[in-house]
Amino acid sequence: MSGFSRRDFLMTTAGAVLASGLAGSSSAATATPKRGGTLVGTWGGFEPQSLFVPAGGGSSPYFTSTKVFERLIRLTADLKFEPVLALGIEPAEDFRSYTIKLRPNVSWHDGKPLTADDLVFNAIQYWKPISAGVTLDALQTAEAVDPLTVVLKFKVPVPEFFLKSVLAGKAGLVIPKHIYDGSNIITNPINNTPIGTGPFKVKEWVRGSHVEYARNDNYWNSGLPYLDKLVIRWWRDPASRSAAFEAGQLDIGTFNPIPAPDIARLTATKKFVAETKGYSNSAWITSVEFNQRREIFKKREVRQALLHAIDRSFIADTVFFGRARPSLGALHFSNSIFFTKDVQDYPFDVKKAAALLDAAGYPVKSGSRFKMSLVSAGWFEENVKIGQYLKQAFEDVDITVDLAIPDRATSLKRIYTDYDYDVAVSNNSASIEPIPQTTQYYTTDGIVKGAAFRNATGYSNPKMDETVSKMAIETDEKKRVSLVHEFDKLAASDAPVLPMVDLEPVTIARSDVRDHSLTADFMGESWAEVWLDR
Amino acid sequence: MRRIIIRRLVQIIPLIFAVIVMNFVLIHLAPGSLFDVMTSEQQITDPKMLDQLRHTYGVDQPVSVQLAKYIWSVMRLDLGYSYRQNAPVFDVIMQQLPATLILMLAAVGIALLVGVTAGVLASIKVNTIWDNLISLGAVFFFAAPSFWLGIMMTVMFAVKLGWFPVGGMRTIGVDESAFGAVLDVMHHLVLPATALGLFYAATFARVMRASMLEVARLDFVRTARAKGLSGGRVVLAHVMRNAMLPIVTLLGLQLGTMLGGSVVIEAVFSWPGIGSLLFDSVMSRNFPMVLGVLVLGSLLVAVCNASVDLLYLRLDPRIKAR
Repeated sequence: MSGFSRRDFLMTTAGAVLASGLAGSSSAATATPKRGGTLVGTWGGFEPQSLFVPAGGGSSPYFTSTKVFERLIRLTADLKFEPVLALGIEPAEDFRSYTIKLRPNVSWHDGKPLTADDLVFNAIQYWKPISAGVTLDALQTAEAVDPLTVVLKFKVPVPEFFLKSVLAGKAGLVIPKHIYDGSNIITNPINNTPIGTGPFKVKEWVRGSHVEYARNDNYWNSGLPYLDKLVIRWWRDPASRSAAFEAGQLDIGTFNPIPAPDIARLTATKKFVAETKGYSNSAWITSVEFNQRREIFKKREVRQALLHAIDRSFIADTVFFGRARPSLGALHFSNSIFFTKDVQDYPFDVKKAAALLDAAGYPVKSGSRFKMSLVSAGWFEENVKIGQYLKQAFEDVDITVDLAIPDRATSLKRIYTDYDYDVAVSNNSASIEPIPQTTQYYTTDGIVKGAAFRNATGYSNPKMDETVSKMAIETDEKKRVSLVHEFDKLAASDAPVLPMVDLEPVTIARSDVRDHSLTADFMGESWAEVWLDR
Repeated sequence: MRRIIIRRLVQIIPLIFAVIVMNFVLIHLAPGSLFDVMTSEQQITDPKMLDQLRHTYGVDQPVSVQLAKYIWSVMRLDLGYSYRQNAPVFDVIMQQLPATLILMLAAVGIALLVGVTAGVLASIKVNTIWDNLISLGAVFFFAAPSFWLGIMMTVMFAVKLGWFPVGGMRTIGVDESAFGAVLDVMHHLVLPATALGLFYAATFARVMRASMLEVARLDFVRTARAKGLSGGRVVLAHVMRNAMLPIVTLLGLQLGTMLGGSVVIEAVFSWPGIGSLLFDSVMSRNFPMVLGVLVLGSLLVAVCNASVDLLYLRLDPRIKAR
């Protein structure tokens, strides 16, 4: 916006047009989309183990499978639900059942029509047991009323936002019954060449290099997709991705594709844009976890003292080059529906930390208060630096720190299976809806030995469990928001595990790639609307 | 000749056996298992499902039984099934091994061509500016990390000059004739093969130079000169052929390390070879895949070494097959 003065901006009609363009996303559509072209995309990680991993499998298979499989609805960047495969999802008055109307004339890539039978199969045999798990525990039956209508029945009242969030989320992909019925969905070899309803069909997967998608000419949304061809390619090295951008061989990369110092260099050329929108429904945080099975960390004062000892702005500015913000409470700041500022904060204050530790009964004895084992999960490069920083920060309040930064498999085992840590640094991505991705870090039923990214601290507080149970069945949206605030307050003051920084991942795209990053989880969208202005 | 081949092949069997046992033990000593990685990635918490998967992956059996089962299946030429990729191990490896082989062979070619030429030049012009420049270059390419060299070459030749593609093995989304495809792969191959090959070229150059200087002092070279052969013929036919022996030895030894070095180069140039597969498999403790790659890798190195031995016979008739 630097080229315009404020006065020009307000006075000219051209300014008004530009304003509408600039006020939206950097890629907002002001021109008519053009058909055709090949888009080469990537993300800041590696090749998936399989193009579709039914139970999840991490970001990489999620990225590749969502171009082929679609969901009933999706969440836009301003957090509104939009129909995709479903025309409507209506709750009954008691919120114990929901009626789903499917979009007519949708067909799978092999030509078979999408029907209510597919949906029943997904609800009962895919979502509930495999992809959503406990999230859909309350789901009792799914029944096809007519070829395009399904009624889902639940044991308890289910909040509308919660159910829609599940259906629009990672677990809600709709897979074809006629292909998966009777087979083991998880090990079916077709997962390497998935068949869905989406705008792109898998053409060829060259392992170690790329997957090529062809345009689905029979896509239900006629005219879409705009692209003729989509290629998702993988580089193992961030610097190589920068080089590929500069050489014109890569058009778009999601989730921090290039080294942070390169972002300014590339965007300065005006040939590339850096976009932070499109991540709010898969918002990443870096958290610190305190093992309650250890006497020392069971004391709330100790946990609060340690939080005061951490300079979170330093982590955000130095480790993440400003692409992160100090967290407040358990929710990501981009969660505009549930986020609240009205929670206990832990500003960086070494003196206060020391005083709290003294008061908790851990004064400095011969140079040290106590010894802790700090495990920083080595799956992100940043966690290595954060681990090293925390070691210093805790040593500044006279704690002896034994730091370990194990690789992925070892980190998972130490933190989530063996609970072999005192303090751990880990990550997770949360949806807007706090149940279960956020709440399962705090509830007692979130403790499942061997299951990662949930309550590994052993924290158990009846009041917390009660609040979350209420949240799960509160169907009044306003009351529900205040319950979430209550949850957040308790989480922040008890602090068994808390985010240290909220990450702001960035999408890098050539400036002629249009209409990207318009949804709340762009990486997991079908990319039907993306077009090339060439 | 045939005896030496057969003997070499028989020696491969205990080697493969040792590779399996050692790596099997190593990967089981590392904390975390494929089961842990898969279930945590897939967020599976249902105890029934966990038991079912334990059985599917075969981790419900004692480690010794797993090892015995694996060895038995390798003996039947079956490398097992990878649940991570949902495909047989052999199929997945065979999709990616050819790319690594092409890269390795091209790198060996470049290393030999550049290294031997530079070594010969340096020895002919010994103690001149040429000799010094070649030595300096050799030290540089030996010391420079190959990933750094790779990135620098990409920035220079792919980004700034645009002569070569930044990565990959084929131009994506273009249908070409067979001949066009070969040219395309060769175009993509230049940078990675050079980045990988120059490191080995540096050692070859140093060894070749020393070896040339040593052989040049021997009596038969003086005889060759005395009987009136031209300088070029003396160098090429008499000195060089005899000076090649240490290079061949070195080559045999370095083929193994080259397989390892290609992992790094493959990452920098996103070459679709075995490197990324091996890395991901180690990280996810996917032992059937790790063992599969290592078994095929050791087979490859063993076969290469056997060919090097045969090359000795050809180069130096004094070495007899026994």
